[in-house]
Amino acid sequence: MDNEQREILEVDFLFVGAGPASLAGALHLKSLTKEKFPDLSIAIIEKASEVGAHSLSGAVVDPISLNELFPNLSNEDFPFEHEVKKEYMYYLTKKSKLAVPFIPKPMSHHGCYIASIGKLTRWLEQKCEEAEIDIFAGFPGSEILYNENSVIGIRTGDQGIDKNGEKKPNFEPGVDIHAKVTFFGEGTRGSLTKQLINKFNLMDGKNPQNWAIGVKELWQLPEEKLPPGYVAHTLGEPLGHSLFGGGFMYSMKNNILDIGIVVGLDYKNPHVDPHHELQLLKSHPWIKNILEGAEILAYGSKTLPEGGIYSLPKLYVDGAMLIGDSAGFLNGQRLKGIHLAMKSGMLAAEAAQIALGANDYSEEQLMNYDTLFKESWAYKELYKVRNFHQGFEKGLIYGMANAGIGLFTGGRGFGIYNKLSSEHGHIHMEKPSTSFDKYDGIDYDGKYILDKLTDVYYSATSHDEDQVAHLHVVDPSICIDKCKEEYGNPCQSFCPANVYEIVDDGEERLQINFSNCVHCKTCDIMDPYQIIDWTTPQGGDGPSWKNM
Amino acid sequence: MKILIYIQSAEGKINPISLESLVAAQKIKEEKSAEIYAVTFNAEIANELSKYDVNSIININDDNLVEYSPLHYIETFNQLYKKLNPNIIIFGHTYETRDWVPRLSARLDIPFLSDCVGMQMNDSITYTRSLYQNKINVDLSISSRSAIISFQSGAYKIDSLNQGSSNVELVNVDLSSVGNKIINEAKFKDSDGAIDLSAADFIVAIGRGIAKEENIPMAKELADLIGAQLASSRPVVDSGWLNHSLQIGSSGQVVSPKLYFALGISGAIQHSVGMKGSGCIMVINKDANAPIFEIADYGIVGDIMEIIPKLSSAIKEVNG
Repeated sequence: MDNEQREILEVDFLFVGAGPASLAGALHLKSLTKEKFPDLSIAIIEKASEVGAHSLSGAVVDPISLNELFPNLSNEDFPFEHEVKKEYMYYLTKKSKLAVPFIPKPMSHHGCYIASIGKLTRWLEQKCEEAEIDIFAGFPGSEILYNENSVIGIRTGDQGIDKNGEKKPNFEPGVDIHAKVTFFGEGTRGSLTKQLINKFNLMDGKNPQNWAIGVKELWQLPEEKLPPGYVAHTLGEPLGHSLFGGGFMYSMKNNILDIGIVVGLDYKNPHVDPHHELQLLKSHPWIKNILEGAEILAYGSKTLPEGGIYSLPKLYVDGAMLIGDSAGFLNGQRLKGIHLAMKSGMLAAEAAQIALGANDYSEEQLMNYDTLFKESWAYKELYKVRNFHQGFEKGLIYGMANAGIGLFTGGRGFGIYNKLSSEHGHIHMEKPSTSFDKYDGIDYDGKYILDKLTDVYYSATSHDEDQVAHLHVVDPSICIDKCKEEYGNPCQSFCPANVYEIVDDGEERLQINFSNCVHCKTCDIMDPYQIIDWTTPQGGDGPSWKNM
Repeated sequence: MKILIYIQSAEGKINPISLESLVAAQKIKEEKSAEIYAVTFNAEIANELSKYDVNSIININDDNLVEYSPLHYIETFNQLYKKLNPNIIIFGHTYETRDWVPRLSARLDIPFLSDCVGMQMNDSITYTRSLYQNKINVDLSISSRSAIISFQSGAYKIDSLNQGSSNVELVNVDLSSVGNKIINEAKFKDSDGAIDLSAADFIVAIGRGIAKEENIPMAKELADLIGAQLASSRPVVDSGWLNHSLQIGSSGQVVSPKLYFALGISGAIQHSVGMKGSGCIMVINKDANAPIFEIADYGIVGDIMEIIPKLSSAIKEVNG
């Protein structure tokens, strides 16, 4: 029972989460409606203390959606780092590297731009402010509000609750924000999106979503070691052939190196540790040499929905639509999601405009979002790679073969199948091994190769420690009674921020260091028992990324 | 040159930040032969202040000033300002200062340099403020005749206060013109047992190496023997064995005592940013590779369970 006196804020349209999908969607909606409905109120809420502080991406951006959204601007006007000039794909062995001789056009980043999603979202935020769109940073969406089966808005999180759930002197109840349409643009594995998908069975008949985790660091290089516009992707070491994913290195402005690794969250070995994989990647002689004399600037992590078009949920319900990573708009083959996220927000905005004209915000109207999507270039792009990720369920070689053949067959699975199915990533996990020693040789020198806790420090994440942990483990007894035996507590490995620790102070128990959390959602996705529920912490808490 | 300084107090106790800012006032006095007028609304505090080197203590007894009341405070200082015409009005940068002094600045129409961390005196006085989370310091000087300055906690050390003797002057103000619309509610209380570790000279800090709650009294005994404050790294607080106010590090307090004695603390960066400014760092840890040794002045690789009791009994022997 909620007996709190809450303020109610009425807006016309509400976007949850100020990422590229929401920002582009809100801007597009404003420009579509400003003549007929000049007084329309559009609001965006964001859990981070400021826009961009929880935004993390590679990123090499296809400017197509920005070009559509700002027809009067050119690519030079966008807050990019560099146009992609030199593009490499390497296969790494332990000591050396082999350059892949040519990069097929659909996988090329030609015409794209190295960018920081943090810079991009802050730039879009300014455009939104100029367009009189209200952005409320520091307000997490904590509950969906319904009127029977229609979404009527969301409730923001209460502030000032102590760790026992009691009100502190600075208690402030969350606000109910009511809207005609609520756009869920929470990013990957959104905590409200998850509830919505479950309540309305939006994944019925779809392939389960498959995620990967990306872990990255920014380094200040002492001089220009890589030319501006340098993009390199790696396969092979350290992931090998059984793990989906690979490494990336992009050169940003001011000799900043952006280095990271993507690891598929469908691996078998419970010891896999994405943070450690990144440290192994950096230990490769070629990269070690590039890092010589460099200084760590930042660390972060996020998950990516890799499933593709067959893993997109039903995109709408009465009064709400799913956009961006929350729905799964990402092209795994091109390693790109920002342009699709923006486009999905814009398509949802177009559907909302139609609904506004009809003054009806039910599914009947919002299903136009799906129709518009199917008519768009975004659908064509995703359809072509519809079987890309599924191919990797059998390993790197199969995956590459499937992707290669797919290039010539318009995306058919292994050249034959129109639709390959997939399974949940976490179900592949196997028993722990006593002989696993892949990470034993990592030389944590504290300068270039950093232990996890030191990296967490560079994520600049912080959470008020006097609050209820925002990571709910439904039944912690499973951790000791079952998981330890069956999987060896993989939460300690897959979490890139040392949130989960099995400690023994007389009795073994799970300790949740929630204040380390970098909001990547890996635990919610990868926990083999699916008993971890990631919820939003107090507003403003979390990483404070600048240019990730 | 005249300096007016407000000595804030609550429940009969002077706020230490006020005394720290009095040190700043005394420095200006020395350098610029200024006169210091210390203002208090409490007669006992006025007597207590008479042992310090100030020119005059202004005590104002008025029922409206007993409890914090911003509008009455502003009017009081408005009248004092007109009467004394000071060049500088100094405050410790407390929560109350943040609340009412900007309004005072507007009322008097003089600038307010808030939260200064220091000053230099040449021909004129320049005040230092920190910007962008202490990444940049700016030096500012005042071009107007008068200004209000507030100093951050820790900008000056109380132990360098000059002693002296001064007289208390009872001053009356007329507050009948104040149409007070602000009513105080119950006072905000910090969480129970909050301790200001930043004021401690000696700190004994325990970490995960303490292993069990039952072992804490052992560390507490050692701390008491050397007159140190007990503190900890995060795991100890997470386990609920010590209050959060005793936590040191990026999510706790930042300290720089004369001695920091770390027991069973590995020294992750999150902890070391909270204590690396300590005068002397002593360490006991089982793991010779623990990062804490990198910043330690003295260290023992060993088991704290074994060493702490021996250390305590050795200290007891020396103390007799």
